[in-house]
Amino acid sequence: MGKILLLCFSLAGCITVAPQQRAILADPTMQFDAEGKHEAPLRHAIDNREGSMGGTGVSGGGCGCN
Amino acid sequence: MQLAVFLLIELALFAWSALASAQVAEFDTAQSVFYEAPTRTHMFVYSPSVDVQASPWSWLDVRGGWEADVVSGASVATKAGATYQATHPAADVVTTASVHDLRNLGRGEVALKGETTSLTGGYAYSTEHDYRSNSMHVNARTDVLQHNTQFELSYARNFDTICNRVQSSADPSPTRWIALEDSVGCFTSDPLRTTQPIGIDTYEVSWGQSWTPVLESQLTYTGQVIQGFQSDPYRSVVLGEGLKAQENEPTERAREAVTARLAWYLRSIKAAVRLSVRGYYDTWAIESGTVEGEFEKSIGESLRVMARGRLYKQTGAVFWSDDYTGGLPPLGPRGQYWTGDRELSPFWSWLTGVRFVWTLTPSNGRLLGVLESLKLAGSGSMSGYIYEQYTLGGVPISNARAIIGTLSLAAVF
Repeated sequence: MGKILLLCFSLAGCITVAPQQRAILADPTMQFDAEGKHEAPLRHAIDNREGSMGGTGVSGGGCGCN
Repeated sequence: MQLAVFLLIELALFAWSALASAQVAEFDTAQSVFYEAPTRTHMFVYSPSVDVQASPWSWLDVRGGWEADVVSGASVATKAGATYQATHPAADVVTTASVHDLRNLGRGEVALKGETTSLTGGYAYSTEHDYRSNSMHVNARTDVLQHNTQFELSYARNFDTICNRVQSSADPSPTRWIALEDSVGCFTSDPLRTTQPIGIDTYEVSWGQSWTPVLESQLTYTGQVIQGFQSDPYRSVVLGEGLKAQENEPTERAREAVTARLAWYLRSIKAAVRLSVRGYYDTWAIESGTVEGEFEKSIGESLRVMARGRLYKQTGAVFWSDDYTGGLPPLGPRGQYWTGDRELSPFWSWLTGVRFVWTLTPSNGRLLGVLESLKLAGSGSMSGYIYEQYTLGGVPISNARAIIGTLSLAAVF
């Protein structure tokens, strides 16, 4: 796993997407959490119906686990 | 409590003064409903939220918000398995109880932004009839290699408190513990009520990478340690003949998850595909895998529509059993811990949904003379849960489907 990550980091260092090529990457459809506030209730419901968590940020408060 | 209110008031005043002098200000509100009605139980949750954000200077964001959960329904109060029910065919050994709760949460956050870095700190305080939560979080983010690589580091600490019933000191065995009847008297000097602490530490580190002009990825590791009372204080589990006891789960739990996400833009159809795969493991021996896919397309300048699908599968906790009777004579139980929580049983689930986002940004001037942009979003999702072992007295859970709908509005001034 460590070697794979090291290889990925090395590869990442060699790759450059120039600023003028970033228009599509900046498009809202290419953002992983562009609608984070809108999606929060769904993520909250999913977290409380499953035995696992992770990958969606750390902030939050309260149980709300009915 | 007083400190929490003081902190929230300070943050609100700071946010208000920042809002008044802001170059950019944003107002968000969302209304969400959740409903499910599996065998013998049902749950309805209405969740409104309001957030404001101000950017008085280009290097500073100040945010404040409030959200609530208005809960009503019925949940399992006494859980028994098939074996025990079979030996008591004349009785209904499973019982349910009505649930009414109101969660209020206030939050504030400050973000300092540089050209390639940002530092964020925030605090949230929430109350329920039977739960109090103080949560603090910090986050650091940096862009390197001409914005092609992003690293993010986050930490959150919760100091929570849950209400419980005072148990008899004459017999300290958990097999004699009685479940909390209701939340009346919680967080007061009621001699039949007590509180127990729950500490939650959550760590997250993520690496985002742009690989080509149309392909990017994100790899995230999340770790969490929970210490304290983690059972449902209202739920009892039948352990043996004539014996039921309050749910008793371990007080420590360490959890880990790795999530890989990929976003790929398809130029030919002007749409993006986002894929996510997550692996999870915890010290209660729950292992799970999640696969999620989203397809989002822009229609014209203002509208985006998205369809999603999600599959999830988990194993049960090491102490999970659908029936805890049959342990050491005369009364058992079978094992040191017992739970009636279906989320700790082995199951798989599916989810499907759609979302639209409509954004109005005038090419020149402002909407109605004040708005820089206006965004309206709506979504609906349905999920289904297939429990492999969980039953209510031997009756499998059927129609375990949930629906959730959300409408949100964001206005930038």
